[in-house]
Amino acid sequence: MTRGIAENIRGLSVAIAIAFLVTSAGVGYWTLVASDALASDPFNPRLVAAIRDRPRGKIVDTANNVLAQSVKTQDGWTRKYSDRSLAHVVGFASFKYGASGIEAAYADSLIGQDPGDPIATWRARYLGEHEEPGSVVLGIDPKVQKVAVDALTSTGRKGAIIALNPVTGTIIASVSLPNFEPNQVADPKTEDLAWQQVNGDQNKPLIDRARQGLYAPGSTFKLVTGAAALENGINPDTKIRVDDPWQADPSWGQYYVRSSSKAHGDYTMADGYRLSENIYFAKIGLQVGGQKLAEYASRFGVGAAPRCDIAVPKGQLSNSGTLDRPTLVADTSYGQGELLVSPLQMALIAATIGRAGVMPTPHYATEVRDSSGNTIRTIAPGAAGQVVRPDTAAKIAGYLVGAVEGPGAFAFGAKISGVHVAGKTGTAENPAGPPHGWFIGFAPAENPVVAVAVIIENSGQGGVDAAPLGGRVMQAALGR
Amino acid sequence: MTLLLRRRSEVGLIVWVAALAITGSVAVAAADAAAFDRRQIFIPVAFIALMLALHLFLAWRGVRGDQLLFPLAAGLSALGLILVQRLQPADQPLLLQQLTWMIVAAGAFAATILIPRDLTALARFKWTWAILGLVLLISPLLPVIGREINGARIWIGVSRFNFEPWEAVKILLVVFFAAYLEEFREVITHSRRIGPFPIPPVPYLLPILAMWAMAMVVVIFEKDLGAALLFLGIFLAMLYLATGEAFYTLIGLALLAVGGFAVYQLIGHVHVRIDTWLQPFSEELRFGAGYQIVQGLFALGNAGLFGAGLGNGMPDRIPIVWSDFVFNAFAEETGFAGALILLALYLLFFYRGMLIAVRAPTPFLQLLAGGLSFIVAFQTLVIVGGNARLIPLTGVTLPFVAYGGSSLVTNWMLVALLMRVSDVTARVRGTE
Repeated sequence: MTRGIAENIRGLSVAIAIAFLVTSAGVGYWTLVASDALASDPFNPRLVAAIRDRPRGKIVDTANNVLAQSVKTQDGWTRKYSDRSLAHVVGFASFKYGASGIEAAYADSLIGQDPGDPIATWRARYLGEHEEPGSVVLGIDPKVQKVAVDALTSTGRKGAIIALNPVTGTIIASVSLPNFEPNQVADPKTEDLAWQQVNGDQNKPLIDRARQGLYAPGSTFKLVTGAAALENGINPDTKIRVDDPWQADPSWGQYYVRSSSKAHGDYTMADGYRLSENIYFAKIGLQVGGQKLAEYASRFGVGAAPRCDIAVPKGQLSNSGTLDRPTLVADTSYGQGELLVSPLQMALIAATIGRAGVMPTPHYATEVRDSSGNTIRTIAPGAAGQVVRPDTAAKIAGYLVGAVEGPGAFAFGAKISGVHVAGKTGTAENPAGPPHGWFIGFAPAENPVVAVAVIIENSGQGGVDAAPLGGRVMQAALGR
Repeated sequence: MTLLLRRRSEVGLIVWVAALAITGSVAVAAADAAAFDRRQIFIPVAFIALMLALHLFLAWRGVRGDQLLFPLAAGLSALGLILVQRLQPADQPLLLQQLTWMIVAAGAFAATILIPRDLTALARFKWTWAILGLVLLISPLLPVIGREINGARIWIGVSRFNFEPWEAVKILLVVFFAAYLEEFREVITHSRRIGPFPIPPVPYLLPILAMWAMAMVVVIFEKDLGAALLFLGIFLAMLYLATGEAFYTLIGLALLAVGGFAVYQLIGHVHVRIDTWLQPFSEELRFGAGYQIVQGLFALGNAGLFGAGLGNGMPDRIPIVWSDFVFNAFAEETGFAGALILLALYLLFFYRGMLIAVRAPTPFLQLLAGGLSFIVAFQTLVIVGGNARLIPLTGVTLPFVAYGGSSLVTNWMLVALLMRVSDVTARVRGTE
């Protein structure tokens, strides 16, 4: 009889042995396979532990100005930041509240464990031998940044300006207001109070409006509608009748598309851009159809998160992700409807039109250096892809020059003497108050070296206020 | 001198345990030289003296049989002391408390070697053990001695010392099941069948089902998910050991699934546990209920193959790491390799226990040794599985290693019982 139990004992032993194997595999998964993902999680305290025990690397701009560095204090090393206007880009590294911005995205590089230097990484991780960390170089141009900060600050409103190089995708200026004081969040003496204040502030100073702010794009979205129309059989020179207010058919009931200038007349596409005529774009959007318009929006990255070295949230085309009602198609065509897009995304769309239809991949950092200043890795991601045909982009670029320089153009404020500027204003209706003002553009129009997006929240006159800011930033980038 | 030769393999292994205790303690102290307290060296020395004393006690009593279990338990306990030294917060003298508990555990171990003089007494008084178990289980709910800590009312306490009675109940449950199942094994095993499925002989299963159900009700009342899971595991394992019917186990697992779903819907804190298990990294949970497991996984992620080195990781960021997450702390600082060695020690312990069970002369002793060994292995799997997010996290301790007196004392009593079964076997068979 006892033999029976002995057999059962063996059966149970095998089951337990298998369970141990499975458990070991699970532990192996976390310790070996998932360890990179865990190590780079911005809330992993190990990332920022180095700020207390060891100096982290510096973060510098194109002119080698130090934006962030570790300073020795009584309680160990603390991070010091030199430019509050870059608080969102540079971010902060706090022992308690984690890290953000470049401090989080390049956390491994800043502790001397850049992926481009596997030997140092291996030695630090497995042998505990830490090299003196190098630095991360940003593409931020201090001159352009200063002009952008001054321009946005002068409005006295919340908002954001972002400027990038349309060819390389390098972000050269980025400002978001209101901002916060990163030194207080990083300093262990003040971190709790500072965090409570900035995190609880209903103006949301922690949000980088340039990168993370999601707004209706308003008329700036007409770049997408126009490109979709040109590639789907719409002749831009055909005059289209505009009579304010307008509805496609009586089934729309009380619903009308309205012209901001209460227009009555015949419009070409050039007129449509210059005078930002909503009814013109609603009509061509409906001709193109919801499916095609959605496809082009998606090609321009609307509703997706662009690949970027600092994470960018994704916007949306509509609540459902499709354009399945004629009124929604009409509204989306001129940038209202249920669209939500970030200023960074709109700057990329402008850059794409300026760069013959090729969308660049945005990035904030350009280079990681070791402690002796040698380059470990350059950050130069290739283009995201050909979004529209070069001739389509060229035509739209021409209309956008008209929208800045043509008679009665809304975006006249973005003019720069001696250079052709392409641009488009936008006025985004929003339920929370007066409309937001937009401007996107690029210069020189024929062969751009800078693309820009400006948003001013609840601006008095919409896009007309935003255009001069865009002009000043582009002028600084052109070195004029 | 003859005393030392009686259990020669054991004394050889204890030398290794002593080396482990000293080097571990020194390594931890060296990593944080500023916080080094000279008196700390007293801890491993006292521990080694205690282990040698127990060894001499076993030799003096002429205990025969297995010589591996004791050094294994001692080695795991040494690791426990090293980790408590590593992880104790500055304001809580956990290491000294753990050493105190180790002394109590050694006393309990020695007492269990002596009492009862005849192991069959365990079987004879099975109903006494069952009732004692239930009383112990209910005791935390009683006024005066019952205590609630961290939201679970599973403690009884006198002054600074707290005890979790269910830790002892798990042993009583195994003793009761072993005795009862031995008595009625014949009827339960030779049940009628419909096709391949056995029909459970309900009247004979009723007492153990009732016993188990009462334990479950109390444990659920006391909000202790880990104990509930452990009791269910013990129940199913003992039933399988006695009958060899995998079908019963399957029914048990199906009941677990159904019951688990019902409990998930009905009981708030279980709901939170499961959600935390499924998505600890979500925005709502990572700074709330999921904070502990997320920090635990960060520790594992920092482990790599060979770890950060003792004292060089950051496991102290995990809340209550010394009792709930010692495994992760150990893994972070000794790597996947260290974690595997630790798991291998438990598997070896289990394997020796099962070997004792296979060889034991009577069904009662077989079931007893099998059930006791199962407890250690299963409890290890439940906590490590929870630590590595393979299953929902429960509050059971890592046997011998985690900080906590109740667990240490009862596990050392468990070792004593296993060694006594081995001793009886050696005497019956007339071998060493």
